[in-house]
Amino acid sequence: MTPTMKGERHVGGLWCSEVLALLTRYLDGDLTDDELAMVKAHVGDCSACAQFGGAFHKAITALRDVDVDSDSSADDVDVSDRVLAAID
Amino acid sequence: MPDEEDLTLLARCRAGDRAAFAVFVRRHQGAVLRLCRALTSSAADAEDAAQETFVQVWRALSSTDGDKRGDAPVKAWLLTIARHAAWRRHRRRVGEPTHTDGLEAVDAAPVAWGALGEAAGWGQDPEARAAAVEKKACVQQALQRLSESDREVIVMRDVLGLSGDEAARALGLSLAAEKSRLHRARLALMAHLGACREVQS
Repeated sequence: MTPTMKGERHVGGLWCSEVLALLTRYLDGDLTDDELAMVKAHVGDCSACAQFGGAFHKAITALRDVDVDSDSSADDVDVSDRVLAAID
Repeated sequence: MPDEEDLTLLARCRAGDRAAFAVFVRRHQGAVLRLCRALTSSAADAEDAAQETFVQVWRALSSTDGDKRGDAPVKAWLLTIARHAAWRRHRRRVGEPTHTDGLEAVDAAPVAWGALGEAAGWGQDPEARAAAVEKKACVQQALQRLSESDREVIVMRDVLGLSGDEAARALGLSLAAEKSRLHRARLALMAHLGACREVQS
């Protein structure tokens, strides 16, 4: 394959854009042993991918239980009364 | 949350036990409301969609045709119903068809990960994104700016914590298509986080 990102490098048998394409599978523990070894070798020697991978992981972790509506929490809403009234 | 407890509750609901249904609603309303809020961008529409979801569940359980859940996990089944209810509400408000169906072909197409990676900030100063991640408002804003199809997969997987299989079932996608869409959505989220004004100002 040919590099598709400006300044990307070929490290550990993978281009940076190839590592990028594998990031979600990496974080979800979904890579084969060979892929995992190559990604680890790449990230260990590529600061751009290490930094991006770290930020990517942080962003995903920050999403846990986030409420899209900023004014109130979905946890404070109880619809059970209106649901029970509606099924009468 | 073990599925067995849900299955016990659903069996009681099927026998007409309203108290069991109230327990089921309270157990799952947080996830249903979060998904509906993310898809309708309106707390009021989300509550209406959540009510519609649970009413449909009750009717399905009472139906002589059965609940049509098949072998789907309870949460995936429930969120499929919620997803449709939320999109119906949203369509009613914005008056246009959503583009979330029929994307399987798009998901299967080769993706230019390099271009998405550059837009997501690969090789740039990571400070702006690191700061944006710390701010709840930036994360919420980035979620809202995602396309509808990106938003629903990321909410199911990363906000609600569904497994890949559960989310794929709820979205009506193959597991491979769901994974590809999730990765694209996460990169798009990174791009929007980098553009958060609260951090730039």
